[in-house]
Amino acid sequence: MAQRQVPTISDLRVKLCYICREEERHDTPDDPPRAWTHPCKCTLIAHESCLLQWIQTSQQNRSRAPNALKCPQCSTVYELESDNPVILRLLDAANRGLSTMGKVVTIASVTVVVVSLGTGMYILSTAYGAYALKEFLGAEMYDLLLTEDPTNWPWHCYLNLPLIPLALIVSRLPFNSSVTPLVPLLLAWPTSTPVWNNKRIVLDRWGIPMAPQREMFPLLPSWPPPPVLLGLFIYPSVRIIYNRLFTQFSRWVLNLQPEATDTAQRMILALEDDDPFLRIRINANGEERNGQPQPNGQGQQERGAGAANNNPDPDAVAPDAAAAAENTIRVSGTSLGRLIGGALIIPRISSVMGTLLYRLSKYSLLLRRFLAVRPPLTPDIRPSLMGSMIDEEAWRKMSPVKRLGVAGLLGLSVAWRGTPVWAECDPVWWRNSLGLGLFTVAKDCLHLLHLWLAKRELQSRRVKSKSFEGVDVGELDLINPAVYAAPRHP
Amino acid sequence: MTSISSRRLRKELNEIQAEGCPTGITLLSADNFESWFFSIEILGESLYQGEVFKLMFRFDSNYPISAPAVQFVVDEDSTAPVHPHVYSNGHICASILGNEWSPVLSVSAVCVTLQSMLASCKSKERPVDNDRYVRYAPDNPKKTRFHYDGKRSMR
Repeated sequence: MAQRQVPTISDLRVKLCYICREEERHDTPDDPPRAWTHPCKCTLIAHESCLLQWIQTSQQNRSRAPNALKCPQCSTVYELESDNPVILRLLDAANRGLSTMGKVVTIASVTVVVVSLGTGMYILSTAYGAYALKEFLGAEMYDLLLTEDPTNWPWHCYLNLPLIPLALIVSRLPFNSSVTPLVPLLLAWPTSTPVWNNKRIVLDRWGIPMAPQREMFPLLPSWPPPPVLLGLFIYPSVRIIYNRLFTQFSRWVLNLQPEATDTAQRMILALEDDDPFLRIRINANGEERNGQPQPNGQGQQERGAGAANNNPDPDAVAPDAAAAAENTIRVSGTSLGRLIGGALIIPRISSVMGTLLYRLSKYSLLLRRFLAVRPPLTPDIRPSLMGSMIDEEAWRKMSPVKRLGVAGLLGLSVAWRGTPVWAECDPVWWRNSLGLGLFTVAKDCLHLLHLWLAKRELQSRRVKSKSFEGVDVGELDLINPAVYAAPRHP
Repeated sequence: MTSISSRRLRKELNEIQAEGCPTGITLLSADNFESWFFSIEILGESLYQGEVFKLMFRFDSNYPISAPAVQFVVDEDSTAPVHPHVYSNGHICASILGNEWSPVLSVSAVCVTLQSMLASCKSKERPVDNDRYVRYAPDNPKKTRFHYDGKRSMR
């Protein structure tokens, strides 16, 4: 028996390309002849050129590539044969390698750009943080805690310092009134140990020598208030009370109807609503002020009033919408600069005001006591972490239980009052905080004065009435024309 | 010498005219080898009973290597069917018009596939992202990169 023959593509009577749908009959071959192929297990056949074109096109399209080498009907994988010498394969591999490397380089350069921008911002923020701290704590304390040499800085400086400008700016954002600008300046440092530094600045200062027995009772309240207490409780509560009182005061000064609203901001917005004349006028002022920025270190308290100032069209919007509009306006253009500038200048302002208080205290013992001005530390004494409460001898004699108790007491004391650096140094930070508060009050009062004067100007406005001088008397319908009969000049 | 695309389209058109369209599908116009119009309706039990839609095919010079651009016509007298894979501007999210296109398919095969896509519809609703897509959609649906996920892809 003859072996049964398997037919091939050349045995077909009619060949139909599944791609171009051209037919070729076996008795009338194409001229020039075209190559046919049967690449799979089903009956589909195609011109080799058509199929290669399809495969090539599909392979170029990422989403179609998986199907490029498959028969659409029976899913058989096409087998390609080609002259693929070693050198071509090498070049292909090299090309693939290079494009992978290209991707790596792209990612790396983007990373480098991002990282260097970030590092730049970080360094700037840290430098600013150090500057703010020096302004706020005073040179002496700054030298004890940080020193000018960054190699001396404790590790947490590199977290705290860059956060300072950030926190200052956040504290001034309209929607986050609970953050106080002083917290980052005050809270981070009390527990920091002093840095060893031989070259300490000795400042020329006067002050009250402190009582040494303070060290014996580390948990008693001290003066000035410990920084932790000041930053966490005193400052925020004073601010809330002040806001309320000042709003009441504004209301009284501007002679407006009292209205039961909760927050100072809403009160003052309502305040603007009560008096349309005033409102219009305030808008005019607001525009003026936006045009020519004034030296301005707004504290938190002014935000409510500032809101009304920046609000472009309160006639058209409800108070809540006005507040919303204010939020957007304050975070764009000049107001952004105002926001950031105002935030970053806070340490400088508090330092200037603190120095002012310090100068004034020269003439008043009471003020000196209130500010707790102290003479500078002598250069050879360095405040220790533990303070002078215990010496090593006594420590060694204690029982373990007692040691534990003393250590706990000390820890509590450090958390409460800060390290002896804070307890023993001249509390520049205290008078600076007070100074900042005074500045805020003064600024608010100035703003209120501005409002009050503007309102008074509006209310006193009259149109000046004049006589009918120069008008022909005959044209006027007068009660008593005879009296005003035009005098005849000779 | 005419191009492969027009020769193949000529053959497809001849076939349609000789053998007629599949049931429910009617050739409305095929005046050139750039765009053809069909009417399509679903016969038998379906959510689209009594509705007739208009399909537009647009071919480029690489047809059949490249897929035709197929969409429902949305104008004064016709709308796109309400279907989870059909956007209200007529664009269709179907893998055979995208990554699963193959030259073995043809105009009438696409029509039949779309017909069965409509016939098997369980609930008449628009795609989830219809509004967003329609707002930014390009004129030619082939410029859209549809994401044919398991749920949406068609055989």
